[in-house]
Amino acid sequence: MSNANHPVSLVSGIVVLGLLAILILGAPFLAPYDPVKQNVTERLEKPSMEHPLGTDRFGRDVLSRTLHGGQTTLISSVVALCAALIIGLFVGLTAGMFHGSIIDIILMRLIDVLLSFPFMVLAMVIAALFGTSLSHLLLAVVAVWWVSFARLTRSVVLHAKNETSFAAARVLGATNGAIIFKELLPKAISPVLILATFELGSLILSIAALSFLGLGSQPPAPEWGSMLADGRDHFMQAPHILIGPALFIFLTVLAFNLIGEGLRDRLDPYEKTEL
Amino acid sequence: MYRMLLRKLLEAFVTLFCATLIIFALIRLAPGDPVQLLLGHPGEAALSDKQAFNDRAAGLRAQLGLDQSMIKQYTAWIHNLVQLDLGTSIHTGRAVSAEIVARLPATAMLSAAALLIQAVLGLFFGTVSALKAGKSYDNAIRLACVALASTPAFVIGLFLLSLFAVTLGAYEISSEAGLSRLWLPALTLGLIGAPQLIRMVRANMLSEFGRIYVLSALSRGLSRERVVKHALRNALLPVITMIALSLTSLISGAVVIESIFSWPGIGKYALDSILLKDYPVIQGYALVMVSLVILIHLCVDVVYALIDPRIHRKREAGAEEHV
Amino acid sequence: MFAARYFGEDTSIMVKKEIETMLQVTNLQVAYKQGRQSVSVLDNLSFGLRQGEILALLGESGSGKSTIAKAVTGLLPPSAHIGGGTMHIGSTLRVDMAVGKGRGKGRGIQWERIRGRGVAMLFQDAQQALNPVLKIGAHFRESLLFHRLASPDEVVPISIRLLSLLGFTDGERILECYPFQLSGGMCQRVCLALALCLKPSVLIADEPTSALDTVSQKEVLDLLKRTQKELGLTVLLITHDIAVANAVSDRVIVLNKGAIEEEGDTRTVFSKPRAAYTRQLLSSRSQIAKPSRERESAHSREPLLEITGLEKTFDGKKRVLHDVNLTLNRKEILGILGGSGSGKSTLARCITGLESPEGGHVIYRGTDICRLRGKGKRGLCKHIQMVFQDARASLNAGRTAMQLVQEPLQYMHIGNKEERETLASFYLHEVGITGDLLKRRPPQLSTGQCQRIAIARALVLRPEVLICDEAVSALDMSVQAQILALLQRLHKQFGFSILMISHDIRVLRSFCHHIAVMNNGSFSEVKRASALLHESKQSYTQLLLKCAGDMEEGLY
Repeated sequence: MSNANHPVSLVSGIVVLGLLAILILGAPFLAPYDPVKQNVTERLEKPSMEHPLGTDRFGRDVLSRTLHGGQTTLISSVVALCAALIIGLFVGLTAGMFHGSIIDIILMRLIDVLLSFPFMVLAMVIAALFGTSLSHLLLAVVAVWWVSFARLTRSVVLHAKNETSFAAARVLGATNGAIIFKELLPKAISPVLILATFELGSLILSIAALSFLGLGSQPPAPEWGSMLADGRDHFMQAPHILIGPALFIFLTVLAFNLIGEGLRDRLDPYEKTEL
Repeated sequence: MYRMLLRKLLEAFVTLFCATLIIFALIRLAPGDPVQLLLGHPGEAALSDKQAFNDRAAGLRAQLGLDQSMIKQYTAWIHNLVQLDLGTSIHTGRAVSAEIVARLPATAMLSAAALLIQAVLGLFFGTVSALKAGKSYDNAIRLACVALASTPAFVIGLFLLSLFAVTLGAYEISSEAGLSRLWLPALTLGLIGAPQLIRMVRANMLSEFGRIYVLSALSRGLSRERVVKHALRNALLPVITMIALSLTSLISGAVVIESIFSWPGIGKYALDSILLKDYPVIQGYALVMVSLVILIHLCVDVVYALIDPRIHRKREAGAEEHV
Repeated sequence: MFAARYFGEDTSIMVKKEIETMLQVTNLQVAYKQGRQSVSVLDNLSFGLRQGEILALLGESGSGKSTIAKAVTGLLPPSAHIGGGTMHIGSTLRVDMAVGKGRGKGRGIQWERIRGRGVAMLFQDAQQALNPVLKIGAHFRESLLFHRLASPDEVVPISIRLLSLLGFTDGERILECYPFQLSGGMCQRVCLALALCLKPSVLIADEPTSALDTVSQKEVLDLLKRTQKELGLTVLLITHDIAVANAVSDRVIVLNKGAIEEEGDTRTVFSKPRAAYTRQLLSSRSQIAKPSRERESAHSREPLLEITGLEKTFDGKKRVLHDVNLTLNRKEILGILGGSGSGKSTLARCITGLESPEGGHVIYRGTDICRLRGKGKRGLCKHIQMVFQDARASLNAGRTAMQLVQEPLQYMHIGNKEERETLASFYLHEVGITGDLLKRRPPQLSTGQCQRIAIARALVLRPEVLICDEAVSALDMSVQAQILALLQRLHKQFGFSILMISHDIRVLRSFCHHIAVMNNGSFSEVKRASALLHESKQSYTQLLLKCAGDMEEGLY
């Protein structure tokens, strides 16, 4: 689909993401209606010229709510993922740097334990015990999502430690700090960033799934997750309510996945071997 | 070899122990008094009943062992767990373990079928994509993968459901598990997991194609099909691990699908229990899921240890590289 | 006849019709795409391979010699573009190389019919050339059955016969082995047997012994030569090593930048080279091998680094170093000679503190540096420095030459910004990196230039000991000679001691005062470099010397 010379997926991903960003950040100006204004006379209306994506059960315009709702969803997902990324980088660098030491063993054990908690299960337990809300979900995200970054970073670090440049830095008298920041971090950063774009996509999908099940943010907030939960309740009468948020979630995740693919192709331009 | 197996087993137990600690801590950390959660808020009771309420609460507290120290509570809980006693459901009053065991076959059936579908799709399209790397077939498969991987699971589920059940009338919605109703949820679940597998098979195949033994096999005048077999054999080892490990995500990912298709598995049971605030069930569900995941990881490790240890180490290192 | 013994009665395939030329390549043009540019590697190259001869293609890196091997077997990567050329195999087969323009693989050519029976190939890394999950026996079975050269029950006897031809006495056991259970030399012999079982018209050997140590290199080359003689094989040997070409080839083609510099009988080319390039290759080689006179008494007897009873194991099992004792004097150049797996690199890593030995001492000026921790250990870098084999990998690709050399000064907090720059440019000037090169980064520099920067970077802290771990092994012969000359000059100028680690006895013999021979993790002996040849009593040293000596016979 793309190679280093023709980064089709990278460019298209960035374009889609850019358009989405314009639509979502510009919601206050672009949205045709007030996202919270109810209109009881126009309940659960099918898509029409006035309401391109129809209306929900309170007669609110689905398109306007979708545009406004993106901000919360996107910003909170990005923030949660960044937190997970930073924790993961830190843990991975520490474990890799002190490979074989007691710190490494403890961290790896912790990672094993967290790996045995599928995110869905943890999120369900938290939703059950602490109540259903977006912030609880995001907490669960931070609690387990750093693991993948930590594992990746650790393996990159372990590879880098076998390289000549690492030995060279040691022999030249580099401190641990210098080695981490000059030798290891630069090597880890690009694979971690690529992983992050993919993980951001799957994070948004997971949150969407949980919201759809009614375990995420609750109506009436103009937020994609709660709109999904809302839509599920009225799926039989008005399936169109789901279209707006589902389409936007699809496009967002698609954009991130395309960017991830493009970046990955760029990072390791393995020579495609034909047989 | 046996030392290695023993170590893996020990590690699995340590992991399980830590996991029970986390679940226990989560329950204790939860806001609100479990007794209140069970009995309802005292404010809701009439004034005259206050005394009776408090008595009942104290009784329940003693009964649940909540008046004892944390360590005692934990050991008592573990003691019950060892005897496979997961407590009783508040809603139905039946043993949680019995309820879960009754629903496990449905989930197992769904996951196994989905795993099969996913593996077939992954191996077939992954190999085709690798063989046609850079050509239009490959591009189409990659594009389809990205699109599929970007679609929310419930959208796929609802789409297939409305297509087959409503439009085509080929699928009957019912809350009973049965082979005749298995195929659609299994297909949905398999489709959700397939893109990742396709991508991995493709990447592994391509990296094998670049290896010298492939060139060497070609230089011996072997046909293309032969050489592809060589590469496939080497590329498959990490893929098999990945398929095994994806079982864990299938079991947990089944929640959405079970909910949409009213499939009576443990995922749907847990989901219903959350809405009913049936805490012992949630606890039991989490424990069963975590134990299953640990068991699957253990099995993969053991099987790998049984295969040539050198290949094992090399492949493990290789598998981690794939982003 | 010998061949009859190994291939049964049917020798008709082996004794082919008398054909003058077995492989004729005419006007071969190959270019590689690099980004949007196309870089020409081979330009209208033509050569012929006579039946029953070993033709050596001799060239340094970038000469295009490996491209020829890949082009002839149709294994060029997709980025390669064949502009034109034809290939004749035997008297009947004619291949138009440029068929399927734009596709490196030469689509339309039925390579499956050419490869294996027509041209077979040996690769540099034999271990990698065998499928890791298949037993050796399975490789033979597949090749023989696929080409219908044997019936299923004949496979094992034929394979065992071939293996015994290549010096394996326990063929049955080898057939049951996985590639990783065999050493590099054994794998190369297995690969040779695999190639021979198809009875190819032409065997192409692409640097078949470059990854092997001296002893197995000699062994494989001897076998190649012997089987070639006995079976009347036609071999195209591709190598960068004059000694290898000298040892086995009948004719030699000297290749430089994709063009033929000189072609002729091996003896004639090496004794009376006509082309200036060949003369230069030979002279840089003799420069390396020629012992210089003045070194004998150049160093003092003052011990600087004393290693006693050093022990090191890996994973608590595999013993890498055992009772290593060594003394390095001030201003001395001490060579450490050893094959792969002898533990010589581990020793270097122990001295520089990259590994901690389990037992023994490394005493530098009265302190045991193995016991140093933290700051003290880090301070060691002002005294002991190291140059690595892979210079490019040891330098951070993102930084310029100037920045790279300033790195150790920054780590050690030496001087301010201007002083560091002055120091760095001084040392860079000393190693011959000046002007425009100062601002270049490793990817824009040659390997030799990278090694110069690495040397400057090691010297900028003014160490007393410089460890060179195979520092010239990865370099072309002419660059090797330059770097060795540079090291010699710097040694005289700055007066540091050098611990030169190498598998190459020629480099050490000319460069070092003393040579310590390492085998299986300990030193078998330490001798004056010039005396090693005559005085050595150790069988291992004798073997190494003999292998090296045999290959160089008649070269100087």
